[in-house]
Amino acid sequence: MSTSRLTRCVTWCSSLALATAAAALGAVTASPAANGGQSAPVVFHVGIGNEADSFNPFLGIEAESYEMWALMYDQMITYSMKDMSPQPGLASSWDTSNNGLTWTFHIRSGVKWSDGQPLTAADIAYTYNRILDGGPEAATWGSYLKSVTKITAPDPETVLLTLSKPNAVLPLLPMPIIPEHIWKNIDEDKVKSYPNEPQNGQPVVGSGPFRLVQGTAGGSSYRFVVNPDYWQGRPNFDEVDFTVFKNGDTLVQALEKGEIDFAEGLSPLDKRALDGRSGITAILGDSPGFDEIAFNTGAADPKTGKPIGDGNPALQDPKFRYALGFAINNDQIVSKVYQGGGSAGDTIVPPSYSQYHWTPPSDVAFSYDPQRAGQLLEQAGYKMGSNGLRTMPDGSPIGTLRLMARGESPTSVGTMQYFKEWLNNIGINAEVQTMESGKLTNVILDGNFDAFQWGWYVEPDPDSMLSYMTCGQRGNWSDSWYCNPAYDKLYTAQHSEMDQATREDMVKQMQQMLFMDAPYLVTTYGGNVEAYRSDRFTCFTPQPNPGGVLLFQYGAYNYVHAAPVGSGVCSSADATAASASSSSGISMVAWVVGAVVVVAVLAGALVLALRRRATAGQRA
Amino acid sequence: MSVRTEVAEVTAAVQPTERRRRGGRGRYVLSKVAGSVGALFFMLVFNFFLFRVLPGDPVRTLGRNRLVSDKQVAELRQTLGLDQSLPRQFVTYLENTFTGQFGLSFRYRQPVSGLILDRLGPTLVLVGTATVLSTVIGIYVGMVSAWNRGRPVDNVSTWSGLVLYSMPEWWLGLLLLAVFAVGLGPVPGLFPVNGLITTGVDMWSVAGLLDMAWHLTLPVITLTLAYVAEYSLIMRSSLLDEMGEDYLLTARAKGLRDIHVRRRHAARNALLPTTTLVALNLGFVVSGAITIETVFSIPGLGLLTTEALSVPDYPLLQGTFLFFSAAVIVANLAANLLYGLLDPRVRT
Repeated sequence: MSTSRLTRCVTWCSSLALATAAAALGAVTASPAANGGQSAPVVFHVGIGNEADSFNPFLGIEAESYEMWALMYDQMITYSMKDMSPQPGLASSWDTSNNGLTWTFHIRSGVKWSDGQPLTAADIAYTYNRILDGGPEAATWGSYLKSVTKITAPDPETVLLTLSKPNAVLPLLPMPIIPEHIWKNIDEDKVKSYPNEPQNGQPVVGSGPFRLVQGTAGGSSYRFVVNPDYWQGRPNFDEVDFTVFKNGDTLVQALEKGEIDFAEGLSPLDKRALDGRSGITAILGDSPGFDEIAFNTGAADPKTGKPIGDGNPALQDPKFRYALGFAINNDQIVSKVYQGGGSAGDTIVPPSYSQYHWTPPSDVAFSYDPQRAGQLLEQAGYKMGSNGLRTMPDGSPIGTLRLMARGESPTSVGTMQYFKEWLNNIGINAEVQTMESGKLTNVILDGNFDAFQWGWYVEPDPDSMLSYMTCGQRGNWSDSWYCNPAYDKLYTAQHSEMDQATREDMVKQMQQMLFMDAPYLVTTYGGNVEAYRSDRFTCFTPQPNPGGVLLFQYGAYNYVHAAPVGSGVCSSADATAASASSSSGISMVAWVVGAVVVVAVLAGALVLALRRRATAGQRA
Repeated sequence: MSVRTEVAEVTAAVQPTERRRRGGRGRYVLSKVAGSVGALFFMLVFNFFLFRVLPGDPVRTLGRNRLVSDKQVAELRQTLGLDQSLPRQFVTYLENTFTGQFGLSFRYRQPVSGLILDRLGPTLVLVGTATVLSTVIGIYVGMVSAWNRGRPVDNVSTWSGLVLYSMPEWWLGLLLLAVFAVGLGPVPGLFPVNGLITTGVDMWSVAGLLDMAWHLTLPVITLTLAYVAEYSLIMRSSLLDEMGEDYLLTARAKGLRDIHVRRRHAARNALLPTTTLVALNLGFVVSGAITIETVFSIPGLGLLTTEALSVPDYPLLQGTFLFFSAAVIVANLAANLLYGLLDPRVRT
């Protein structure tokens, strides 16, 4: 390597590096100046595990989309923080006619869309009528308007619902209300692909506490800015940013580093790691859902009633299924399979919905008691054979029960592996078969299974969950093929029962029926781990209160009411008056490291180029 | 990565038959192009049926725990166009493909072409940069290593190459993350843990480009380390093959310096297999690096495709797979044509 070449390189490289560094430094010093004068905006950074799939409230299905619609839009009726019972939203009050066939909602005045137009009863009626008219709107929200025949807005402050028969699920109406003056141009055909995203830098028109200014369905980040004129009062954040983390470990690391302020959907193990970390609070909140072991109670063609599939006949006997409930150790499933992230379950309505949940009395409630399971099986005729295996009442072997687990879910596989051992303990052979959930869906519809593990999410009104267990849902959403006319009769009755206390009794009776017939053995109630920078943000309220989750609630309560530490909004945590430092834009480190990377790449390219030239020169 | 190498071997194995053909350059090019077009058409048809054989019903996956009545289910089925007969759906698929829109994704309800374009950028930057870097570094390392066969430099590079090659990419990524993004002991967390760019920063400004370089440093390093051995090992072995040749003796006898013998004579002749490999691998650049895109949450095509599988999102899967196969077929064609150019024995 000649000296001249070296010198040339050094000169080139260093001047280039200097130029880049100067540019970078110039930008660094310039950027704070742009903000100068006013205090930095309060940005709340949320890390989520999944993308929003559509900002069009008629199309999306992911929980993330629902969360973001709640920031963009209001609902006529919302849910209370305490127990998710119906609570005034855009409607300040409502009343029902005596026969339950007419509902009158009184709408607040003075609410405005973000483009300044007033939000009136007409917008609400328009939204609901779109759903009533069918199409993708009906596919998404149709179930909430069951028996509703007509929706009108006789004046700007009144919405009238006319029903063909009483519907006890009302006033549960969680649909986001959309502006008629924008959506009237989006017809039935266009709505199928209408993205409802910001265009030309204009935010999406809504009435909610925040406005979507940046982000696209399936994207990796979403940016919302505050609606300063929000009718429930200005939120304490100036901006809410969502970032998608496809990897749970990096989500935790980003929280620890302070790149985000809130981490949603962590694992119970993450909570253990974060507990005791100063400045971070991790909570395990009740998530209103359950996981169950479901049985093939007798698959049959829903129209003809002809049996289909190859389910084990023993599982068609409710006594056999109920007995198995004593062979399962739910506490062990919670601690070993769910790592403590949840609680032992009993019925299909989670206890967070305290008014509807039926608690099995101690004489019938399940507890881990293989002996009792054995006794119950003996009584029902499933005697222990000489080979240590139980037989059918007619003496024939039971055979091997096929326990299907969903391969993508470790808890599903873990639960079934334990269940297999517990079945062996009481003299029943079983094997675990693992498959992808799409495959399992087909297997369930064909009735070619004995048991599987899955779960459901339960809405604040248990009506739809209860409906999945009716005879009419066989071949649709019923996966245990359970069919009990007495249960169906109760389901129909509770659906139109307008007296709340009577309805609650009926709902409890239905849970009791299911518990004793045991098409499902509910193993666990869900838990959701969330963590946030308590050194920066405070004033979060759980839903249900106490014991619930902090974000991904029904509604946008905490986005409006949570606040930076030290802002004096709520008194509790303000003693630790650390200033809320959430810088927007990119950090100094980004500039320096980014510049170094660029310099390195350019220098490398340069060296290569020079070497080529030098060699050519030498050869000549 | 192993798939890539196999493809390279397959193409190499095809070469002797080509050698026997007569007819010169034009026919060679023509036959290659025709073959590629045929392959593309086969993929077009195969693609449609491939995903419909997958277990699972998109309507049931998308509707679970959300839809209640069978009327709602029917509405969704109709919205997705799945209420139509299979032949009719196939015709729709062909129409959508030839209009370039590829239909609407079931999950995102947006044109598939738009989704692919959105995700193509990050993938090209990530995998493309890593491929270029690993090619350059790999060839150089392989060359030095072969030239110094048996010496410490060879041992170190071969062994570290093998270790990196056999290490799962995502694990390497997580290690780098833990050390350089989170910080470990005296090492501060220099890089962001996640994503492509800071939310709210304009990608097309100087600040945006620097921010992106900062975000992509770790993932690119991870992929480069993972890919480098593939090139260095192939380069090493092909250079070793050349090293016993007489022309090198001649070159040395002419009095050329060692470095020139290596670079101007040996390396050029040893580059042939590596060139094929590079050309073929370029076809795989667009299909992304699923594990690394997941670890670093980079919204690339690999991630998009994996997620589409869980629905299964037929239009999106058809679109991405057609795109991937087109890229591989084109790269293959390019490799074949390039080979013909570089090694005249092939086309005569």
